Amino acid sequence: MTPSLLKRRFMDGASVDGQLRWLSIGLFILIAILSVLPSLRLLLEALSHMTFSASSPMVEVLRSERTWTALRNSFYTSGLGTLIAVVLGCGFGFVVTLTNIRGRAIWVFCFMLPMMIPPQVTALSWLQLFGPASPILNTLGIEPALGSPQPMYSAEGIALLLGIQSAPLVFLALRTQLIALPQDLLEAAQLSRASQLRVWVDIILPLCRSAIIAGAALAFVSSLGNFGIPAMLGIPAGYIVLPTLIYQQMAGFGNEMLSQVAGLSMIIALLVLAGMLLQQWLQQRSRYALLGHTAQSLSFRLKQWRLPLEMLLALVLCFILVAPLCALIVSSLVPALGMPLNADTITFAAFYEMIGRQGVTARAFENSAFLAFFSALVLMLVSLPLGYLLMRLPMRSRAVIASLIEVPYAIPGIVLAIAFILLFAKPLPFIEVSLYGTLGIIFLAYLSCFLSVCLKPVLSAMSQLDPALEEAAQLAGARPIQRLIDIILPLTAPAFFAGGLLVFLIAINELTVSALLWSAGNETLGVLIFNLDESGDSVLASAIAVLVVLLVAGLMSLLSLFAPRLPRGVIPWHD
Amino acid sequence: MNLKKTLLLCAAALAFPLSVQAQDVLTLYTSQPNKDAQMTVDAFEAANPDIKVEWVRDGTTKLMTKLRAELSSGVVKPDVLLIADSVTMESMVSDGYLYPYLSPNRDQYEDSLYSAEGYYYGTKLITTGIVRHKKAPQHPTDWSDLIKPEYKNQVAMPSPLYSGAALIHLATLTDDKTLGWNYYQQLHDNQAMAQGGNGGVLKAVASGTKPYGMIVDFLAIREAEKGSPIEFIFPKTGVSMVTEPVAIMKDSNNKAAAKRFVDFLLSKEGQSLVLKQGYLPARSDIGVPKGFPKRENIHLMPFNAAKTLRDSEANKARFSKIFEG
Repeated sequence: MTPSLLKRRFMDGASVDGQLRWLSIGLFILIAILSVLPSLRLLLEALSHMTFSASSPMVEVLRSERTWTALRNSFYTSGLGTLIAVVLGCGFGFVVTLTNIRGRAIWVFCFMLPMMIPPQVTALSWLQLFGPASPILNTLGIEPALGSPQPMYSAEGIALLLGIQSAPLVFLALRTQLIALPQDLLEAAQLSRASQLRVWVDIILPLCRSAIIAGAALAFVSSLGNFGIPAMLGIPAGYIVLPTLIYQQMAGFGNEMLSQVAGLSMIIALLVLAGMLLQQWLQQRSRYALLGHTAQSLSFRLKQWRLPLEMLLALVLCFILVAPLCALIVSSLVPALGMPLNADTITFAAFYEMIGRQGVTARAFENSAFLAFFSALVLMLVSLPLGYLLMRLPMRSRAVIASLIEVPYAIPGIVLAIAFILLFAKPLPFIEVSLYGTLGIIFLAYLSCFLSVCLKPVLSAMSQLDPALEEAAQLAGARPIQRLIDIILPLTAPAFFAGGLLVFLIAINELTVSALLWSAGNETLGVLIFNLDESGDSVLASAIAVLVVLLVAGLMSLLSLFAPRLPRGVIPWHD
Repeated sequence: MNLKKTLLLCAAALAFPLSVQAQDVLTLYTSQPNKDAQMTVDAFEAANPDIKVEWVRDGTTKLMTKLRAELSSGVVKPDVLLIADSVTMESMVSDGYLYPYLSPNRDQYEDSLYSAEGYYYGTKLITTGIVRHKKAPQHPTDWSDLIKPEYKNQVAMPSPLYSGAALIHLATLTDDKTLGWNYYQQLHDNQAMAQGGNGGVLKAVASGTKPYGMIVDFLAIREAEKGSPIEFIFPKTGVSMVTEPVAIMKDSNNKAAAKRFVDFLLSKEGQSLVLKQGYLPARSDIGVPKGFPKRENIHLMPFNAAKTLRDSEANKARFSKIFEG
C-alpha cells in the first residue's frame, strides 16, 4: 500500500468518527479565540480609518522611511542572530548528544540557562561586562577608557545576544530528534563499511534536517519579536528594529498611533507567515518515519579529541554564561551603580530591600510561577489532540492552521498586548466578568503567545511517527481518544513535556506581553525587573535577576533529580 | 467544548479575587521609582490603617498610554495619580478626567505649585541638571558646555519621547532665548545619546559608558550619597523643573480615601517623607535634603505649563525628527 493511499483511507475513517468531529470543533474554536481573534482585531485596527486618501494609517506606515529601515535592521539582526544560534545550538547539540563526552547533563544544563535569563538582564549584564566600569575588566586592569564606544551598542551586539538567547531553541529541537536516532541505522552503516563522513552526510544530517530547520525558524521568529535586547542595545545607538519602532511610537505618541502600530505589526505577521510556509515546505521534503525512541542512541567515541573539545565547550560557556552572570552578581552586591566590589563595599542591602521591604517581590514571584505553570499545563493538554488533528489534515490546510497559530507568537508582545486590551477591556458577554486588570488576561495572552512553542516539538515528533501503529489500533477497533492516549501519547511524550517545559521556562521571565497587561497586584517578574532597571534602580534589578536565575537553576536541578523516574527525553538536559 | 468551558472557568476563577475586594482599597498610578512609591504607600497606610493602597508604577508616558487605553474602553482603574509633570495633568484636566478638590493644606504652598481649581497639587520639585562621572576630564558648568567638541559622543540625555520630565526640560530649554531649538540640533550634531528615561542616563554615566549627562537631580544626588562615582551640577543658566503633582480621578469610586491621600502628601508629615526620600519638598519650610545646595541658590528657568501642553506633540515630533531622522 502506498503512503498516500494509506493516508486517504485514514481520512475516510476520520470523517465518520463522531468523537473526532467534536474534538475538531472544540479545538478550532480554541484556535479561533487564541490566535485568529487577536490577529483579526489588530487587522481591523490597522485597516480602520482606511480611506483612499494618501493619509490613511497603513499608507503612512508603508511610506515612512523608518518602517523600511526598521524592517531591514530586523532582518539583519534576526538573520545574523539565527545563524549564531544555529552554529551554537547545533555544535552543542551534536557534541553533547552524540559523543561520549563527560558530564553530559552539566553541559546541557549550563547551555540551557542563557535562555532562561530575561533578555533585558542579559543585555544589562553584558553592558556591565564590557563597559568602562566593568568590575571584571577593572580587576584585570584592561578596562576601556571612560566614554569609549561600547561595542555592544551595535547591530552585531544585538545579533550576538539574540543568537545566544535563542541557541537553546535550536539545541532543544535538535536534541529531541537526535535522541530518537536509532543505533541500528549506524550499525547497518558500519557493517557496510561506511566512513564517518558518509554516516554524517547520509544518515545523521538528513534525519536532523527537519529538526534544525524547525529550531532555526523558532530562533528567527523569537529574534524578530524580541524586544528586551534591541531596546537596551539598539535605542541608545539610534538603531531601530520593528519591535522597538512600535514601542517608541506607542510610548512617545500614545494611542493615536494605535492604527499605525497595528499596521506595522501586520507587516511582521505577514513576514512570519511567509517564513513559516517556507519552513513547512522545506520540512515536508525531509520527513522520515521513525519508530519512537530506541533503547540506545548513537554514540561516537572521541578518543584523543575528548579533552580539547571539552575545553572548547567550557570556553564558550564561560563567554556566554559565566562571565555575564558574574557581572550580574557583582552588580547586585554593590551599594550603588558604578562602584567597585571589594571587602568594604560588599552589601546585601539590595536583597534585603527587595525581599524584606518590598511586598511586590513575593507577589511577582507568585504571579509568574502561577502563570508559567498553568500556561504550560493547559498548553500541554491542548497540544496533544491539536497536534494529532493537524497531522490528519491535508497538507495545505495543516500549513494554514499551523501558520495561524504561529502569528501570535511572532508579533511583538507589546502589540499582542494591545490586541488583548482591545478585545477584553469590556466585560465578557454572558458571564459578565471583566478579565481586564486581572491575571486572567495575561494568562490568555500567554496561551495565545506560547501555543506554537508547545506545539512545535509535538508536531515534529508526531510527523515522525509511523502511521502503521495507529492503523493497527484502528483496525482493532480503538476509538480516536483511546488511540490518542494509548498510542500517540506514550510515543510522543518526550516532545510533549519538552514543549510544556519550554513554555514554563519562557513564561516565567516573560516581559513584553505583561509589560502592558499588568496591573496593581498582578506584576510579573519580567515587569518588575524592567521597571526597576528603567527607574534607575539597576542594583535592585540585578538582585531580583540573580534571584530569578537561582530560581530557574533550582527548578531545573529539581527536575534533574526526578529524571531517572521519568520517560527518556522528557527532561531535555538529561538522558 | 469541555476545554473552552474549563478555560472560561479558569478565567473566572482568576478574576474572582479582585471582584471581592474590600471597599477601602485605593488604587494609585505613579511614576515614582519603586522604592519611593513603596515608602509613600507604607507611610500613608501607617497613618491611615483603614485604607489599603494598591499601586502601579511605570514611566509617565507609558503609564498614560495605559491609562488612556483603559479610559477609552470605559474602565477606570486608578483613584489617584501621582505622576511626574503638570503638563500631563493639564491634558487630563482639559479632557475632563480629573476631580477638583480644594485641599485645606494648600495655603502652605506657592500658587504656581497647584491648579487654582484644585485639580492637581505639586508634591515636590524635581530639577534637571548636569551629571558627570568623577573620573571624567571635563567640569561642565552650564548647558552650553555639553555641545563643545570635547564632549563629542560623551553625553547621555533622557528622551522626551519617554520621560515627562525630559519633555518639560526640552520645552524649557527651547523656550530660552540663548539656547532654543538650535541647542538640541547641536546636541545631536555632537552625538549626544538620547536614551530611554532618566534611569538610562544614570546607568550610562555611573557605568562610564557616557561620562556626562542631563539628569533629574535626585537620582544623581542620591546615588552619589550612596557612593556612586558621580556628581550633580546645577548649571549657571538655571534648571528646568517638574513638580510631581497628585490628582484624583473624576470617576474614582473612593473619593473620601483619595482626598485623604492628597491631604497626606501635602501635610508636613508627607512633605518630611519627601525630604527623607531625597527630593526637594514642595513646601518651602521643610528644608533641603543632603547633597543639595541652599534653596535660594537653585535658579529655576521660567516655564509655562499651558503653552507646553499646546506644543508638546509638535515638540516631540520635532525632537524625533532631529534625533531619529
